[in-house]
Amino acid sequence: MSDLVTPVWLSLQLAGVTTLILLVIAMPLAWWLARTENRFRPLIEALTALPLVLPPTVLGFYLLLLFSPDSALGGAFLRVTGDTLAFSFTGLVLASILYSMPFAVQPLQTAFHAVGQGAMEAAATLGASRFDAFRSVALPLARRGLLTAGVLTFAHTLGEFGVVLMVGGSIPGKTRVISIEIYSAVETLDYQTAHVLSGGLLVFSFVVLTVVYMLNHRGVRLAG
Amino acid sequence: MPAEALSFDLALDLPGFALRAAAEIPLQGITVISGVSGSGKTTLLRALAGLEPKSCGWVRFGGEDWTGKPPQARQVGFVFQDARLFRHLSVERNLRYGAARRGTPEPVLQEVIEALDLVPLLARRTMALSGGEARRVALGRALACQPRILFLDEPMVGLDPARRAEVLPYITRAVDQFGLSVLYVSHSQFEMALLADRVYLIAEGRLGPLQLGPPRFSAPVIGAGDGMVRFEIDGHDFCLPGNGAPGEKWEIRPGHGCILSAEHPGRNSAAAVLPVICTGFDRERLLARIEVAGQVLEIEAAEPFPERQQAWLICPRLRARKRG
Repeated sequence: MSDLVTPVWLSLQLAGVTTLILLVIAMPLAWWLARTENRFRPLIEALTALPLVLPPTVLGFYLLLLFSPDSALGGAFLRVTGDTLAFSFTGLVLASILYSMPFAVQPLQTAFHAVGQGAMEAAATLGASRFDAFRSVALPLARRGLLTAGVLTFAHTLGEFGVVLMVGGSIPGKTRVISIEIYSAVETLDYQTAHVLSGGLLVFSFVVLTVVYMLNHRGVRLAG
Repeated sequence: MPAEALSFDLALDLPGFALRAAAEIPLQGITVISGVSGSGKTTLLRALAGLEPKSCGWVRFGGEDWTGKPPQARQVGFVFQDARLFRHLSVERNLRYGAARRGTPEPVLQEVIEALDLVPLLARRTMALSGGEARRVALGRALACQPRILFLDEPMVGLDPARRAEVLPYITRAVDQFGLSVLYVSHSQFEMALLADRVYLIAEGRLGPLQLGPPRFSAPVIGAGDGMVRFEIDGHDFCLPGNGAPGEKWEIRPGHGCILSAEHPGRNSAAAVLPVICTGFDRERLLARIEVAGQVLEIEAAEPFPERQQAWLICPRLRARKRG
């Protein structure tokens, strides 16, 4: 059986970093989407939801082009860091952020929408600035949405395969995450490794989803 | 004309709705803004509080220009129709939310809590409150900010007569104890008659004043002490907060309306025990007939009363002053 710790640790790092960055990006985006009457909103909503319907290979293909040293982004990254963006951990993080975007934005948008304008107006008349009202009223009221967004993003990033394979390839210790390791193991008929990793992911995903549904159910009961 | 006034000239154009309102409202007592549903009463209140960014025109509060200022810079105490308590906070933390942001000293906050009898509710979750309790907490939360003016947006809507009788004395107590002027939006003629010092009417998207003359009658003081004065009117006792001496004649204006209840409304409220002649319904309102100073009055009742039963007559705005 091959080394299991390295791909598991790499996957956890990728999922952790992606979740943290994505929550920071998704919070203002979801807040804007939940409240704006801008006519471009459907366009932005469609863009953030694209990864739900696109084959990961399509997203991966375009990202690979974007990350190549010949492109502006890939070239700039190479000049600054001396490393290519494609086939690097940073490239994987960027790809994961885009790929998991709807899993962070949609639960947050729903939660922010439920907070409503009324509570924010009440906070303003009580002396809270807009940021203060967001922090002290909107975020606590949307905390279940925030938790769902975080957990789903983490679990989804942990299980991604197509985009990672296209953008990161299969470099041990650098881009070979759990799903790629399973794929390589099956290709080399190492079924024991494939069993351990697949079973682990299956149990982890099941437990995570159960916890999310339990928390949401409890929240609904408390609110009712 | 008082020196201090809330003056404004505002216009708001929304699809299917236009409002133009200009007035100079004295910062004194309770000003009711009335009009039929959908006439723009609430919208005007929201625009004055800075909650309608699309409104144009100007607003001045006393010598201060409020035009374009965000709601948090206007120091308006706003009690919304649906209370809008923060459901993630306890009653106490709801009360402290605005108090902390406006720098209200602890003794003032405690005074608000006591004046509105909120002590038993402090630890409760907001979702466990009744409709009347939620309005009281919302009123307390607004008062705890030490506002410069209080906006009440139909605070009685959706409450049954018994709950209204519960909340009304608190509103007038808040006004009297904290010396606040109030803009009170309501389409209820009863509330207008009960509370208003002056009334403005919104009709067809425009605001105009409506004069309201309070009835008055005089009564002799029969006893005084502990900051309370007792009167006798037609054989019945009235108690009012104030200082006086027996034998004096006081002029009493019975607010501009009273409400009957089987329960005493609580301390500090002017109330008298009177026998009810009969009760009956007039459209949706439950009316009781009583006799005061030789006059038969019809008064809204919190509940039906059997004939000749003793009941409390609560006059939230009952005032008395010495004659001459």
